[in-house]
Amino acid sequence: MTEILAIYRKEMKTYFNSPIAFIVISSFLVITNWLFFDYGDYPFFAINIADIRGIFDYGAIVLLFIAPAVSMRLISEEKHQDTLELLVTLPITDMQIILGKYLSTLVIFAIILAGMLIAPISISFVGDLDAGIVISSYIGFFLLGATYLSIGLVASSFTRNQIIAYIMGIVGIAVFFLMNGMASGSGIIATLFENLSIRFHYQNFFRGVLDTRDLLYFISLISVSLFVSGTALASRKYK
Amino acid sequence: MIEVQNVTKSYGVVDAVKDVSFTVKQGEILGFLGPNGAGKTTTMKMITCYMPPTNGSITVDGLDVINDSMAVRKKIGYLPESTPLYEEMGVRDYLNFIADVRKVTGHSRKQALDRVIDVCGLKSMIHKDINELSKGFRQRVGFAQAIIHDPEILVLDEPTTGLDPNQIIEIRNLIRQLGESKTVIFSTHIMQEVQATSDRVLIIDQGKIAAHGTTEELKASIAGQMHIELVLRNADKSRFIKKIETIDTISLEDINVLKNGDLEASLNAEVGNDIREKIFDLAVANDWKILESSPSSFTLEDVFRKLTN
Repeated sequence: MTEILAIYRKEMKTYFNSPIAFIVISSFLVITNWLFFDYGDYPFFAINIADIRGIFDYGAIVLLFIAPAVSMRLISEEKHQDTLELLVTLPITDMQIILGKYLSTLVIFAIILAGMLIAPISISFVGDLDAGIVISSYIGFFLLGATYLSIGLVASSFTRNQIIAYIMGIVGIAVFFLMNGMASGSGIIATLFENLSIRFHYQNFFRGVLDTRDLLYFISLISVSLFVSGTALASRKYK
Repeated sequence: MIEVQNVTKSYGVVDAVKDVSFTVKQGEILGFLGPNGAGKTTTMKMITCYMPPTNGSITVDGLDVINDSMAVRKKIGYLPESTPLYEEMGVRDYLNFIADVRKVTGHSRKQALDRVIDVCGLKSMIHKDINELSKGFRQRVGFAQAIIHDPEILVLDEPTTGLDPNQIIEIRNLIRQLGESKTVIFSTHIMQEVQATSDRVLIIDQGKIAAHGTTEELKASIAGQMHIELVLRNADKSRFIKKIETIDTISLEDINVLKNGDLEASLNAEVGNDIREKIFDLAVANDWKILESSPSSFTLEDVFRKLTN
């Protein structure tokens, strides 16, 4: 655990020593809140209903472009600066490196989540929000972001180029997000694709119900992503 | 301290290191010498647990690099060839991070930082960002990182590459200083560096060990020939050649008659023979006047070139 925290602290320092964290967090919050309150066919100010589902809908799309920007440098920058060579010879396992780095992205995302409280808090002054739905949506959004970040980490662990990591991260997330649209009908394939898609499971959280299947889906996807990242890091041993 | 036994490392079909065996004793400074691409870095990467050997075994202080990887890593301080530093970090932050991972904490952290700052001469740079540092100081930060946990073993991959002559001397002194209390392996492709710092030399070429021994042993065993340049007055060329041929430990390499009539000759002696006395006696017997006699033994440089072409 000490090792994981050492990596975590280093990553946090890097995020906050540069403008990355500030830019990422503020651009997400500005774009998402703007989309929610004042954009599209049913902006919050126009429909006049105390429903915050919209912010999580828009948030899922905006985050698709923001999360890989947080995760893109995690491993690729270590490769680019040749620091990975030192890092993996320190008394620390590859998985501890991955977990420490992943933890730092989760904390950045937690700041985003805190910033997203602006909408429900301000709305609760003017209307009645269903607290249960807000809470379950928040949990869903946290799992969504955690999953995006883990997929972004996979992309980062396969390249030494941050731009490639960013683009591949977006592609990877988009594939999982939109998978339910890849096969239509009610056959086995369609059901399989639907059950593998992030969007399908994410939507269930808006009903105010926490389903173990959805929780399990996100946790599995995160675990597999972290495992793949760790394996990519260890691949130097089998060259 | 370090035992490398029959180690082979293959990258696909290419063997970067082929059946290499050697040992490094405690407290020894081993110079790892070879042309670029000879397998020096690959060998070091295997010792430092970056990657396992394809075949063979490596133990560090009795611990296997694969099975006891974490214990081995704790004993080693490693400075890779590329001097890995986090550009966006401050020097102090960087050293704190390494100390963090290496679990140098609390009071011993402060002592360790003070020690490495002192040993590596980083006092004036400690508050700077790494991307502001010159190449020489970057290298020192790399050293500081490698010794922050006071390791028993130091593995330094081409620590002087890219430095100016003054910095090279400083780094060599640092290696010697650290080598007084630690076991050190360092690689280089510069001959003098090995001569200046190491107890023992291992010459590696195309993944194989080409020679192994103390610097003196290497010079003696592989090219212990003595070479003498003579300038004689009052000597006749053909007579000189005839007389020299009577001594079978000497072979004549080259002979010239200079403009003023003096004779200039280069002689080689066979391994282990000091021919200077014989030449003196010969000169006296024939009434030759020796104006110059400069013996030179082969340098490690010659050995290196001979072995690695």
